[in-house]
Amino acid sequence: MFGRKKRLWGEKPPFRSDYDAVIIGGGLHGLATAYFLATRHGMNSIAVIEKRYIGYGGAGRNTAIVRANQRTQENLPLYKEALELWPVLTKELDFNLMFYNCGNLNLAHSEAAMKAMRLQVSSARFQGIDIRLVDRKECKELIPALDISDRPRYPVYGGMFHPAGGIVRHDAVVWGLAKGAAKHGVHIHQGTEVRAICTEKGKIVSVDTDKGKINTPRVLNAAGAYSAAISGHMLGIKLPISVLTIQAMVTQPLKPLLDHVVSSGMYHCYANQTLKGEIATGAHMDPWPNYTNQNSAYYIKHQAEALGDFLPCLRGVKFMRCWAGLADMTPDMAPIMDGNDPVEGYYTDCGWGYFGFKSSTVTGKYMAEFMAKGECPEILKPFTLRRFENHRLMGETAALVNYSPDN
Amino acid sequence: MSVSITCPVCGKRKGYEFRFGGEDKGAKPEESVLADPAAWCDYVHMNECRAGVQKEWWCHKDGCGTWFCIKRDTVKNIEVK
Ligand SMILES: [Zn+2]
Repeated sequence: MFGRKKRLWGEKPPFRSDYDAVIIGGGLHGLATAYFLATRHGMNSIAVIEKRYIGYGGAGRNTAIVRANQRTQENLPLYKEALELWPVLTKELDFNLMFYNCGNLNLAHSEAAMKAMRLQVSSARFQGIDIRLVDRKECKELIPALDISDRPRYPVYGGMFHPAGGIVRHDAVVWGLAKGAAKHGVHIHQGTEVRAICTEKGKIVSVDTDKGKINTPRVLNAAGAYSAAISGHMLGIKLPISVLTIQAMVTQPLKPLLDHVVSSGMYHCYANQTLKGEIATGAHMDPWPNYTNQNSAYYIKHQAEALGDFLPCLRGVKFMRCWAGLADMTPDMAPIMDGNDPVEGYYTDCGWGYFGFKSSTVTGKYMAEFMAKGECPEILKPFTLRRFENHRLMGETAALVNYSPDN
Repeated sequence: MSVSITCPVCGKRKGYEFRFGGEDKGAKPEESVLADPAAWCDYVHMNECRAGVQKEWWCHKDGCGTWFCIKRDTVKNIEVK
């Protein structure tokens, strides 16, 4: 009834000392895995352990963009299925995730950039993804506010339009999955910190938390930016991850002027207009690892200059809020999904960098299958941690993350 | 977030003049050690991702070009002694 406050996902669950699976991290990857374990594999003795509150990290800090225009044949099928999952989950969770498939336009500012896009478009189309190259004129038709004259510092040359992409309300996904998982018996323990992961004879046996010990044969590390530190310090498994801060901001609300997500690699800038009318924008990452969630004047200024250059109607518009989140970057900008190696019962789902939101639900689906059956699903096999020592890095980026000029 | 870095040649300067060069992993192991793919991978790719004080490499790219190590607290994002 009106005025009566009811928790979205029931009362605070009791803390048990035995669970079939413990998931570290109450972000989207952890919650999605818990949800799929409970609904698709009949496992309902599952604990999600979250140090702060669900959705505190990347889940609530991303800029809500979803798309399937990555570069490699290993990555594209995952993101394609992720796009197809939003309407399915909206129905299944009975929760409006506000999926708005407005399409994404990536701008090219040179023939070299067009050439790179040609390859990207062909790779995506090979996987059946709706995407095409567009010329300068069509960019203007898609986004009338765009300045396609020779005036901007980097004039628009053409672009790549991906109609299937768009935006999803990220908080709604957190709440919807938490509600759905809790309904199927998953225990979400917020404000609970993992202190140690215990093994015996190469197998997971328990997890120590500040609320007590949990006996379990399975642990999933889905701790986002903290996954590498947890893996390294608690199990001695080092990961090839650098944690970088990524900043974002929104302007004051405006009348509708941007019908699609627009991004430019050259300007290091992407923007979309939210359903409330604000222009949400973000760009590259702080160029050194750190664990702060703070913004810098340097980036806010950069963002204003970039936006005002290719969308001149936004000059003088005020930023209303800014925030930052942490991205766990790998050298090839592809994630690490692995399990039972070298510790039986220990699973990893991390290294998503700034792709963690768009991939969350589909990853949950396959990581749940992995954990329930103990066998890695075919689609996840290329993402093993061993690819780094086997020189099988993926071509999602051309240069090592630490040293590339664009982050 | 912004940071100031002390270059051994130019002194304390704005962080954006520098390029981060990775965690300090000690001296490069012998080639015979690096012939093992796991050891090579550990030296080249793996990080400790310490939330706290770590020793790390920087290059004064928009300045004198010197490579050097400093200690920095990654939680507060400030250089420490
Ligand atoms: Zn210097």
